[in-house]
Amino acid sequence: MRRLLVAVAAAALALTACGSGETGGGDGKVTITFWDNNGGPARTPIYEELIKRFESANPNIHVEYVGIPSASVQQKYDTAIAGGETPDVGGVTTSYLAHLVGQEALAPVDDRINSGPLKDKLLPSLVETVRQTGPDGKLYLVPSSANMDVIWYRTDWFKDAGIEPPKTWDEFITAATKLTDTAANKYGYTIRGGAGSVFQLITEAYAYSGVDNFYEGGQSTLNDSANAELVDKIAKLYKKATPEADVNNSFTQMIAQFTGGSIGMMHHNLGSYSDVTKALGDKVAAIPLPVGPSGKRTVVPNPTDGFAVFKNSENQDAAWKFAEFLTSSESNSYWNEKVGQIPANTDVRSAAWIDKAAHVKMALGVMEDPATILVPAPVYLPQYSSITKTDSEPQYQKVLLGELSAQQFLDDMAKKLTEAQKEWEERK
Amino acid sequence: MTETLTRPPVNTPPPPRKPTKRRRRAVAEEPGKRWLIHVPLVVYLLFTLIPFYWMIVFAVRPTGSTQLVPWPITLEHFDTVWNDIGFGIFFYNSVMIGLGVLVFVTILSTMGGYALARFKFRGQRVFLLALLCTQFIPGAMMLIPLFVIFKGAGLLNSLTGLVIAEVAFQLPLALILMSGFVRNISYELEEAAMVDGCSRMRAFFAVTLPQLKPALVAVGSFAFIGAWNQFLFALMFASRQDKFTLPVGLSYALGEFNTDFGALAAGGVVAAVPVVLVFAVVQRFLVQGLSAGAVKG
Repeated sequence: MRRLLVAVAAAALALTACGSGETGGGDGKVTITFWDNNGGPARTPIYEELIKRFESANPNIHVEYVGIPSASVQQKYDTAIAGGETPDVGGVTTSYLAHLVGQEALAPVDDRINSGPLKDKLLPSLVETVRQTGPDGKLYLVPSSANMDVIWYRTDWFKDAGIEPPKTWDEFITAATKLTDTAANKYGYTIRGGAGSVFQLITEAYAYSGVDNFYEGGQSTLNDSANAELVDKIAKLYKKATPEADVNNSFTQMIAQFTGGSIGMMHHNLGSYSDVTKALGDKVAAIPLPVGPSGKRTVVPNPTDGFAVFKNSENQDAAWKFAEFLTSSESNSYWNEKVGQIPANTDVRSAAWIDKAAHVKMALGVMEDPATILVPAPVYLPQYSSITKTDSEPQYQKVLLGELSAQQFLDDMAKKLTEAQKEWEERK
Repeated sequence: MTETLTRPPVNTPPPPRKPTKRRRRAVAEEPGKRWLIHVPLVVYLLFTLIPFYWMIVFAVRPTGSTQLVPWPITLEHFDTVWNDIGFGIFFYNSVMIGLGVLVFVTILSTMGGYALARFKFRGQRVFLLALLCTQFIPGAMMLIPLFVIFKGAGLLNSLTGLVIAEVAFQLPLALILMSGFVRNISYELEEAAMVDGCSRMRAFFAVTLPQLKPALVAVGSFAFIGAWNQFLFALMFASRQDKFTLPVGLSYALGEFNTDFGALAAGGVVAAVPVVLVFAVVQRFLVQGLSAGAVKG
């Protein structure tokens, strides 16, 4: 036993020397660390290019890039915060922003934005959603791009059937039924019934009902009868205009079916642009979620992507400089053109590529239209993801299978969301 | 009780084993009925091999292709994972960590296991119980304490740190296994060697160690594979791209909005090859090693 202890201790001591020792050298050069929250072959090269440009413009700052796999990024941040080893700049989305702010890990950026070139250059609707996510109304990240839920559809199928892309939900239902030909293994629509289903369903429900606030007097509006009507309509499409396997679909299966050519319409977001165009070329296009009988366009925004400066950073000025560079019109344009999302910098609107990227132009139009009403989901609630995912996804599958009524399903979820909101208000 | 005992024996049915035996032999001998064995085996084989086949198909066929038999074969996905994602470095890191863990776990568990089996010391039972209890703690719970300790020791972002964490995690079970193996080797042989003038150390190396060979292979290869597949520690303790390991690299192919199936499959092939090789080489020893405790020798 003693020998064992000695051996371990000796090994540890002998090798400590190989530990870290990376802080900048004596030549006045600053090293900052940047964590990409969705690292991988699709996005890493874009950042590498931007870092190259930044370093040549700022020769005294060196940026160390670390790509974090998107599925583990929140855990990685939590561990880093607990251990006091946070990066200088990090990619952060509003889906876990409140969590990071709650641990006092981030530095507010309002003043920095207002005193620099980004002042009044950021899409107001995005800034507003970011602001609402923070507990104290401050901006803890500078938004860089937005995503939006859209319906991807097969232009060739619609042309062959002689129908127009739907503008209302009723047209949508008719089109889905009309495009279905089960004998030829063609389905008008695909339902996301597995992981991530409920968030999509919520965006559909609010788009249909036109209810313009997630909470009314502290009560969740999710179980509004118009919302239930939509859920019911979607559930009725199951197996009639959609494949039977849909009840377990996560986005991977959904996209695989759509790109495989057996689906006419798919509800996902702009993020699947590269996948669908790679497979289907110009036979695919996007429309916003249809509107309901109210005629109002309500949008439940997707998490907004952006960059945050960490409080523990020893080089906050250099860190901000980099974040500012990434959201400058030139970098922001380059980045969003490559990933096909909505640029946050309003100067990018006039960039030539926007005219060619029909889906971005369409989404930008929706986001900038003064008639569009944003209904942000309460992602700041600590229980939000357990309620909408763990608790509700299996329930939604029951709705699809006809074992639970849409109204009952939404009543349960609304009750939990109301309680969580109340708890949150009391703790504030 | 007595009543049951004195009661005349009831008509017991004939022992059921014999007919079954006879029938089974008949199945094996009759060539026409071979399929009764072979069909289930083939089904089972397909069941295990089809996922592998899919992985290889996805890895070598071009993106967007839906062929079942991939032809022509492309290596573009291997190029992506090796050069764009950086599997070259990840592979090196995983090999180094795997070997480090293998060496330390094997040496430490042999020494510790021997001590646990052969020596009596105060608190032995408590110690064994503590070892067992460590198995109940999930790795995720040790993450933050370990992180803080490693930060203080300057072990973050180093392969050494990952080796130490993984050794610490694997050692308890390896110790328990090893002490079981040692207990099954008769102490009389060692005693005889010592009577003949060997020191305890020499008796251990000359008599006991050679008999432990299957155990060493079993513990060592499991240590290697455990370290090879380790994801959580590698992701959390390394914040530099050049210190990540293969499992972390694999998760790069799973983006938030898109999944690169080709790269994922090619990465899977790269990550699986060493494991398959290890098992191919050591499986003979492995069966011996794992069943060593089953029959007392």
